[in-house]
Amino acid sequence: MSTISRRQFLATAALSLGTMGLVACGGASSGDTGTDTAADAAAEYTLVNEGKLTCISNLYFPPFESMDETTGEPVGFDIDVSKALAEHMGLEVNWLPSQAFDSLVPTIKAGGTADIAIAGMTITDARKAEVDMSDPYVDSNQSVVTKVGSEDTLDTLNAEGKKIAVQAGTTGADWATENLPNATIVPLDDIISAMNGVLTGSYDGLVTDLPVAGYQIKNSFTDLQILEPIPTGEQYGIAVSKDNPGLTAAINQALADMEADGTMAAIETEWFGAEV
Amino acid sequence: MSRFRRGHVVARSCLFVALLLAAALLMPSEAYALTTNKATARPNENGGSNVIGGLATRLTWEGTVEDGESVSSVTLVLPEGGTFAGSSTKITALDGLDRAAVDGFATANDNQLVVVFSQPVDEGLLIRLEVEGMAFPSEGGDVVVSGTYENASGTQQLADSKPISTIANTSLQMLVATLDEMEAVQAWNSNPFLGMFFKPQLLVTAFSSLLPGWLLCLVIVVVAYPFAIALGLVFAFMKISRHRLVRAIAIVYINVLRGTPLFLQIYIMFFGLPMMNVNIDNNVLGVIVIAINASAYLAEIFRAGIQSIPQGQYEAASSLGMSYFQTMFNIILPQTIRRVIPTVTSDFITSYKDTSLLSSVGVMELMMFAKNLTSVSGNMTPYVAAAIFYLIVTLPLIKVVTYIENRMAHAERGGGPRPKAGERSAVEEAASDDLAAAELSTHFEGLGEGQLAPVPVFARMAQEV
Repeated sequence: MSTISRRQFLATAALSLGTMGLVACGGASSGDTGTDTAADAAAEYTLVNEGKLTCISNLYFPPFESMDETTGEPVGFDIDVSKALAEHMGLEVNWLPSQAFDSLVPTIKAGGTADIAIAGMTITDARKAEVDMSDPYVDSNQSVVTKVGSEDTLDTLNAEGKKIAVQAGTTGADWATENLPNATIVPLDDIISAMNGVLTGSYDGLVTDLPVAGYQIKNSFTDLQILEPIPTGEQYGIAVSKDNPGLTAAINQALADMEADGTMAAIETEWFGAEV
Repeated sequence: MSRFRRGHVVARSCLFVALLLAAALLMPSEAYALTTNKATARPNENGGSNVIGGLATRLTWEGTVEDGESVSSVTLVLPEGGTFAGSSTKITALDGLDRAAVDGFATANDNQLVVVFSQPVDEGLLIRLEVEGMAFPSEGGDVVVSGTYENASGTQQLADSKPISTIANTSLQMLVATLDEMEAVQAWNSNPFLGMFFKPQLLVTAFSSLLPGWLLCLVIVVVAYPFAIALGLVFAFMKISRHRLVRAIAIVYINVLRGTPLFLQIYIMFFGLPMMNVNIDNNVLGVIVIAINASAYLAEIFRAGIQSIPQGQYEAASSLGMSYFQTMFNIILPQTIRRVIPTVTSDFITSYKDTSLLSSVGVMELMMFAKNLTSVSGNMTPYVAAAIFYLIVTLPLIKVVTYIENRMAHAERGGGPRPKAGERSAVEEAASDDLAAAELSTHFEGLGEGQLAPVPVFARMAQEV
């Protein structure tokens, strides 16, 4: 990985991040948002590096996380949230290099590498079986994206011979298989190749997280359009090891404080132009 | 005047009757305070996309509270045999795309699920119920979710959902269920490595669900390869051509294709061609990319093979008055083919494995199925199943290559078949087909470079040409 140029890496990364993001969203299923950790365990937690909140993510999921084009530093909504979290907890933030989205939960579960994974990750029952998820910190929805000028509707997309690109393993992929059963669902590695495919006509549409679709259409894929936003009300959470319930409690406390003192609203305004 | 009035009355009464009829027809469809938007189920087939009855899955039901109404509870009803027992329900209410603060609790009662909201849900809100762990009737078929709701004026009937198509349990899934319960399997899976890479349940389902992907891989490479061989031969000849321009074209073609990753070539073809308004079916495009890529490697293999034939063979042919093409097709190529078979087989194996790269652009081949299954199950076993599918083809081929190489080495040492003195007539008969020509040339080869082939046999061949 280190032998490829930064540009290639960024391009690939952008793709894989997009995918990751989708994956993250894709996993969302049933189950209430989990505040199931013992609140009284607060303040009793261990950190991988003393005094530092070590974070991992997949950095190819703008606007939630991506790498700065010139410096390669992580930037995005989730990065700002992590910084504010660390500040509220009296810690320094420490970002590790990007890693594959589907390796995040196993990494946190195994422990020893990072304290938290914050990666546009929808809170799902499946993930809660592996790791603790914090209280939700931002809401998300799905969206169906088509090419500008396409005459397809949700009804016509759900037909024999239509191809819908999704990011494999995401809530978007789940939504597509469940709601567009007649179409051929084509799962791809990342959302960028899905978007390229829709642009070039290989696929008739794609399903992905609404914020990511909106951001990419605004900034990179101006010839695509959001055919329809899909209200799912899924919520992103932060993954913490089950062995570290004190940290989950402390993070939940810090999230609540950030909500109360307006930090969260400021970050939301910065990245989405409004509170969400 | 009176006649006119009578006509007028008749017309009016007709209109009145028509209006009454229309009203009667319209009435039943507008009575809902809570409109059913949809009911869908998550496919729960292990390694498939069907919804299987009798097995736990997730039902998603959505309804909108109409203007001027409010809803305090919703009851969903499954047909006889379906069950909500042991399910957990996630209640979400959305105002447009924003979550609304609505909560409640769900009580499962066999095939009924009663969801009571802590306060009535207001007009315009979308109610979304995700019921995890429910099961449809085990006999399968189209399932309609019905039910009731309560608003200010009491309990009302819900509109039936569109049917959800479900299937009865399959024997494969029953096998999985049996494996689930076996203690040996549980012990096996409790080892993290074995459970992650060799989970028996997933191996079983992966084999059946990966099959179409494997067949597509085979079809792609089997269809692509003859084209690759033909193209490869053309470029091999171009590369040894006397004309500089022709050589240059071949060199650029071969070097560019051999010098860039196949992954890149796939991306350029799959995303580039449609941008130039060339729209080709994905699978056909896959065949084209694999054929073109393999042709560059084959061209080099053929060129090396042709140039490895001793100069003496050309000299012998021209001494018999054979033209360039006669020499090539009757003397040189048959020997070349023999020599390159092991290398070409290796290249075939490479191309077959390379079809896996097509998964990145949505060709539904083996790796694509494996990847999907892995991302759904969070387990690496489908990749192991895919590896086995690749090995089913590659291992026998590797064996073939080894066999041919051994035979060739044997022949080169002089141990190959050669005509015996007393069997010349048999040799002459055989000389009429290409295979025998190849055999004969083996014989010449055995004589070594610089030595002239036995002229009588050779001359006979030239006559037949």
